[in-house]
Amino acid sequence: MNTKITGTIGGLALLLSSVVMAEDASLKNTFRAGVYFITYHVQATDISGPMTPAGLNAKIDSNQTLYLAYVRSLTKHLDLEFAFGVPPTTKTKGKGPATLGSVPFDGVEISSAKWASPTILLNYVFFDETARFRPYIGIGVNHTAFYERRSTAGGDAVAGGPTRISLTASTGIAGTVGLSYRFNNDWHLYASYSASRVTSDLKADTAGLIRTSHLNFRPRTFVLSAGYSF
Amino acid sequence: MARFFRPLGIIVITGWLAACGSSTPTSAVSTDVTAGALIVNPPLRIASVDAATFAAQLGASTSGAQLLQLAGTPTCGVDFYYIKYRTKGGANERTTASGAMMVPTGSASACSGGRPIVLYAHGTATDKNYNIADITNTANTEGALVAAVFAAQGYIVVAPNYAGYDDSTLSYHPYLNAQQQSGEMLDALAAARAALPNTFSSATTDGGKLFVTGYSQGGYVAMATVRALQAAGKSATASAPMSGPYALEAFTDAIFYGKVDLGATVFSPLLAESYQKAYGNIYSAPSDLFSATYATGIDTLLPSTESLEAIFSENKLPLTQLFDSTTPVTGNAALDAALAVPNDPLFSLGFGDPYLVNNDYRLSYVLDAVADPDGAVPTPSAGVPLAAEPQQPLRHAVWTNDLRNGNWAPASPTLMCGGAQDPTVFFSVNTGTMQAFWSTLPAGLLTVLDVHGTPAGPFAQLQGAFQQSQAQELAFLQTAAGGSLTQAQAEAVLVQNYHTAVAPFCTVAARGFFAAF
Repeated sequence: MNTKITGTIGGLALLLSSVVMAEDASLKNTFRAGVYFITYHVQATDISGPMTPAGLNAKIDSNQTLYLAYVRSLTKHLDLEFAFGVPPTTKTKGKGPATLGSVPFDGVEISSAKWASPTILLNYVFFDETARFRPYIGIGVNHTAFYERRSTAGGDAVAGGPTRISLTASTGIAGTVGLSYRFNNDWHLYASYSASRVTSDLKADTAGLIRTSHLNFRPRTFVLSAGYSF
Repeated sequence: MARFFRPLGIIVITGWLAACGSSTPTSAVSTDVTAGALIVNPPLRIASVDAATFAAQLGASTSGAQLLQLAGTPTCGVDFYYIKYRTKGGANERTTASGAMMVPTGSASACSGGRPIVLYAHGTATDKNYNIADITNTANTEGALVAAVFAAQGYIVVAPNYAGYDDSTLSYHPYLNAQQQSGEMLDALAAARAALPNTFSSATTDGGKLFVTGYSQGGYVAMATVRALQAAGKSATASAPMSGPYALEAFTDAIFYGKVDLGATVFSPLLAESYQKAYGNIYSAPSDLFSATYATGIDTLLPSTESLEAIFSENKLPLTQLFDSTTPVTGNAALDAALAVPNDPLFSLGFGDPYLVNNDYRLSYVLDAVADPDGAVPTPSAGVPLAAEPQQPLRHAVWTNDLRNGNWAPASPTLMCGGAQDPTVFFSVNTGTMQAFWSTLPAGLLTVLDVHGTPAGPFAQLQGAFQQSQAQELAFLQTAAGGSLTQAQAEAVLVQNYHTAVAPFCTVAARGFFAAF
């Protein structure tokens, strides 16, 4: 995976340097703001560890957050997008048996974490700059770090006591498809759908007992935004 | 150009700093190395079941349903906690150990508020990873037994795993070391008392009554704990040692004379290693005691992460052959006869070739027993006193750890329960000897229950139930579902399982006994 990402970044850099040199006259800046609608399609290994029943898994609710991006137009058809957002709080719920003993599990919010998840994308934009609608596709890299990790009261009850949670940071490939609508030279509306690879190793420490899981969050984001160019 | 990048840089940097933020904390780990100190506070709750769920879970298996029938329908839910504490090893070295705290929960009056504590000592375990707290392990039958009999009926249960097991830092187990094991019981109790207020189950509190019980090795440990409490100026509210090798010198003498108990080849390495670590004189090398066939590695063999079946199949221990079937010849006809292979189908299983214990070691032990006899074995004498002071190192060790030692008697009501036909821990040699030793105690202080005796008195129903269960098992083993065994084969299976079969009946008897106080 790391080799692939390094290759992707290297390819982007080479491509950038060549096209910027060729079409320097098209440099333009755009700020976008809007809303991220995020859904997670979590694939996780069962939570495992000593004295832990089999079949315990997790799911994450969809959420929304503010989308912010800076876009640098490199040529008439190539944009470099730095996308980030107000870090959303994800709420993890138990997935598995209804109860562990008599402690509710399935569907119970067991933990939360905030995501700092900046993404850099190189987008290819179709049609001419004066076109009303311009579709675009992009590829890039996402880096996600998790902070303010909380085990809820429900999570502590399931785990058996106060629980410290760690989640390793993730760097993975990201892709997007989108469509822009041109009001005028300065203002545009954007709609895009993105997918990125975000994986993490979960470690939960309850009274010294360590339980683990490998999570593939598979976030899918739909973005509606407005942009101002200058 | 540069001004457009600056805000972005600030925001991203803020994001990275935030990403270093911490998580919610977990339990605190104490650095106090004093024996009895609780290490992890609050402790891990392994499981939590309400009364109905516990009943349903027990009822889901045949053995669980039988236990439920015997123990009664749970009145309380049970929270199972895993406690870790500091204690000392057999050589007084600092170490750690773990155990269970089972706390009754629920709205019934018997399930919260001030509740009595049952301090429970488990039987011999060969599994290094033994953890009586882990109720998620279906092999943890002893944990389920004490939970169903005591915790689900309103008793807080504290049960150490013992040093040398689970994640204890001790490399061996101080098996039947009265001082260490009783000390560790009190360490586990102190740690549990410190843990209880900080748990999910803090509505249940220590009501001040302390009952001490245990089965087999744990019966011995329970009695030793009562002695230790009294030596410290405290006492148990009542105690119920069950099927324990209390009269350890008499019991070991009987074995060395040839009455080899079932399980002796497993108990011997545990005992030898425990006393070697404590006293350093049991052998110069394991081959002094153990035959060349088994000596290599036997000092670290038990407890083990390997199953007993694997240990036997890998020829690391003989199944039953404790002594050489070619017995020592001394020229003393009476002694040679005492050392000969017994004409008894059970005891003769203890002889063979290959064998575990060398003839020379056996002979040195028996010569010491002849020179300085135990008051109960081979010939009972008035008051069944201990030997004066044995000289042979192993015999001196079992003399030291015999619970007749210490010039004491229980000061609080005591029930000794067992089964008269126990082939593993002989009832008459142990329970009978202690009963005779304490024959002058005031009436009512000591009660002896033989679940195989003629049903009579307050435990008549339990005695009847045990004997009925034995008869039913004998009949079942001769059916197609039970394996179509012959009468003799079925009887042999009953003998093999007898020691284990007595446990739930005695445990329920202990609860009935405690309920009176």
